[in-house]
Amino acid sequence: MLSKSLVKKFEEILGQGGYFTKPEDTMCYSYDAFSAEPVQPDIVVKPKNEEQIKQIITLCKNENIPLVTRGAGTNLSGGTVPVKKGCVLLTTGLNKILEINENDMYAVVEAGVVTANLANAAVKNGLFYPPDPGSMNISTIGGNVAENAGGLRGLKYGVTKDYLMGVNFFDMDGNYVKGGGKTVKLVTGFNLPGLMVSSEGLLGVMTKFVLKLIPKPKFSRSMLVIYDDIIKACETVSEIIAAKILPATLELLDNFTIKTVEDATKIGLPTAADALLLIELDGHEGQVMDDFEVVKKICENLKGNIKIAETVEDKNRLWEARRKALSSLARLKPTLILEDATVVRSKIPGMMRAIQDITKKYNLTIGTFGHAGDGNLHPTILTDKRDKDEMLRVEKAIDEIFAKALELEGTLSGEHGVGFAKAKYLEMEVGRGTIEYMKKLKKGVDPYNLLNPQKMGL
Amino acid sequence: MEDLIKELKELEELVLQCMKCGTCQAHCPLYQKDLNESAVARGKISLIESVYEGRLDKAGSILKHLDYCILCGRCKENCPSGVKTDEIFLRAKAVLRKIEKLPSWGKVVLKIVMEKPDLLARVAPLMHIGLKFGAKRVKDDIFKPLLGSFSKRNIKQVASKPFTKTHGGLHKADNEKMKVYFYPGCAANFLFPEWGEAIISVLNHFGVTVYVPEINKCCGIPAATLGEIETYKKMVDENLNHINDIDCEYVITCCPTCQYALSEMGPKVTGIIANKPFFDILMFLDEVLGVNFEVKLNERYTTHIPCHYRSTKKERLKSHVAKNIKGENITLENQSCCGFGGTFNMKKYDDSKAVGMSKAFEVKSKGIEKLFTPCPGCAMQLTDAIVESGSNAKVEHPIVYYAREIVKSGISKDKTEKGQ
Repeated sequence: MLSKSLVKKFEEILGQGGYFTKPEDTMCYSYDAFSAEPVQPDIVVKPKNEEQIKQIITLCKNENIPLVTRGAGTNLSGGTVPVKKGCVLLTTGLNKILEINENDMYAVVEAGVVTANLANAAVKNGLFYPPDPGSMNISTIGGNVAENAGGLRGLKYGVTKDYLMGVNFFDMDGNYVKGGGKTVKLVTGFNLPGLMVSSEGLLGVMTKFVLKLIPKPKFSRSMLVIYDDIIKACETVSEIIAAKILPATLELLDNFTIKTVEDATKIGLPTAADALLLIELDGHEGQVMDDFEVVKKICENLKGNIKIAETVEDKNRLWEARRKALSSLARLKPTLILEDATVVRSKIPGMMRAIQDITKKYNLTIGTFGHAGDGNLHPTILTDKRDKDEMLRVEKAIDEIFAKALELEGTLSGEHGVGFAKAKYLEMEVGRGTIEYMKKLKKGVDPYNLLNPQKMGL
Repeated sequence: MEDLIKELKELEELVLQCMKCGTCQAHCPLYQKDLNESAVARGKISLIESVYEGRLDKAGSILKHLDYCILCGRCKENCPSGVKTDEIFLRAKAVLRKIEKLPSWGKVVLKIVMEKPDLLARVAPLMHIGLKFGAKRVKDDIFKPLLGSFSKRNIKQVASKPFTKTHGGLHKADNEKMKVYFYPGCAANFLFPEWGEAIISVLNHFGVTVYVPEINKCCGIPAATLGEIETYKKMVDENLNHINDIDCEYVITCCPTCQYALSEMGPKVTGIIANKPFFDILMFLDEVLGVNFEVKLNERYTTHIPCHYRSTKKERLKSHVAKNIKGENITLENQSCCGFGGTFNMKKYDDSKAVGMSKAFEVKSKGIEKLFTPCPGCAMQLTDAIVESGSNAKVEHPIVYYAREIVKSGISKDKTEKGQ
């Protein structure tokens, strides 16, 4: 609880409607999309401009109040849960697209801009902002940068970090820091955008971004490939990449997911299939058609049965099936744990086999789908958090999935971040030296550990 | 208090379905306006959870957030996990209403609207006269009351006699091929009697006999949204029992909210099920009778899809209008809720109006001359907002247009897909 005089100071900065302290208001910022124990902040502030943010930071520093920045709160790692209480700072009040520059192909946006709004604005100007995290209709750009959000197009187009050209932020001393800029080449000083991307709110409060836009591809072709053995589907993925072809998307659904999606949507998926691949090639028509012939041959060699989406409706139906994967699974059990361990692409078959073994070993319900093309699978564990015995098995299964991912030269998290969900595993992947370096870095810019404390174990 | 927490905990199975993904943010008209988590379903659900899990001790304090909801159901319709938000909120409000009593205005309104439909019918002429003299005429039959909290509103004139008073009873069609029960609902009964008249005339034209109840009994949804669930149950019970007693094949409605209250939510809370299917008038014409109107309209028009329109029929409604009204059909970028929400509009007029205005401004900027909507609530709200925006667009139910065209150009009685 903050003292009345302290609340008064916040009010002086933000005005009467700019903050919440009542328990029934602050409770609404005690969670994110990761299933964990909620923690209620003492105060939630909703600044409208950078000046207010600067003053909030100064006040938090002077009064020793932890400060957690939050956009839409769609993150899947507990990253915006204020575990040390304190102040939650909402960026949703800064939601303007400041510039879409067609000639120089960049956008300047505020932190609270919703990803889909930027993507749509880019399309209106004949341009393309490729990062498309599953929550793009609600997630904010600030959150996307803080978590380095990925999506379906990672394989060919990369993730948020590949589009971040510039970032403006405040450090914990209230200094206004400008990293990067609008030029393609820029080497003045540290690569601060590179530092801030996936910093999960630990190094500063980001307010403004310059993002790269690219020309929209002119032609695309989508197809569905049906397999009676999921390992063959995984091998197809590895071989397509080995053939030096980069599909815009290359998604996998396992049999459990196929059946669940079909039950929920009646789209007409082949429920007898052990696995499906959804492939989209895009670019220049000639190139797409050439690549298509190669992909076709690879699929056929591995006994995949190809169905091409001839019409726009067919195509939309395919992607709807993929988009509905998570939600259809979510309807089956009360608790859903979505993992995102990622391996190098050639190791996808090995990872898939391990997930199958782990599912059996711990007697769990796991549906697996995901961005097979970039090595990022989403084993989705369906459980009930009230079932203590099963939750223990879930935890062990997760430990094994992580261990296997690391063994296959992979990572604990491809796109959901560390937060506190994966904090205890981090050292296992990066080693003690890295943790020490991160600690020193953090201590240097935030000596009192006020910015999103305890996340990543820091 | 312990009982209350126990009752809230009964919602746990429904509450646990929410995985807190936040998808509802994209669809909630109030979140889009305020960008506050307490407005959106995920926030409200976590508040309910916090009470029964003991993290919030003042249970009553969350009612204001639960009440800040249009109950448009868009969160439910778009929820990836299929969370039954409407049921959770209505039931939670009913529980919390036990500690936070209804304000007296609410009690009076409910008492009259629910329990004394006859009294309400008798005061209608007075309201009609009251509006005539106590209000400024804005245009046609739209008035702006002069006094009190209603003076910001542009409201439609109240009928001098309610529809069920003038039209209660059996309206036999020549060459009767079918019989239906028409449930007008309060809004059509008092404010849009011309909708009811149009429905009778169009249905009679196509050989459908229409039974109209002599007294209109409210569907009960205002009681449910105020947390008075027992009153709601009583109204559902009375209406469905009456409907079940009448010999006919279908129940026709012209208010999607009434239809939702009686045929979707009603059976869930009372266990009583109607013995005949409910159809919105347009879907009845489209799907059951297979009528083709294909009338011309020389105005630039758009259609507002009511949130409570049965979700499986929304696409069909769009194609129905596009197919049957030939003219310059504009699709608005804003496909969201009108913001009305019945009791929400009474409690939170400024918030309700703000949601409606964003749509009205688009109607104005696109030079739309007619806005069709098959819901009296949406029609009231959008009339208010459109007048306020300075647009001249007229708000109308398509059925009124069809009825007029039948009289004008005499659409053939056999002009049905099935007849051809």
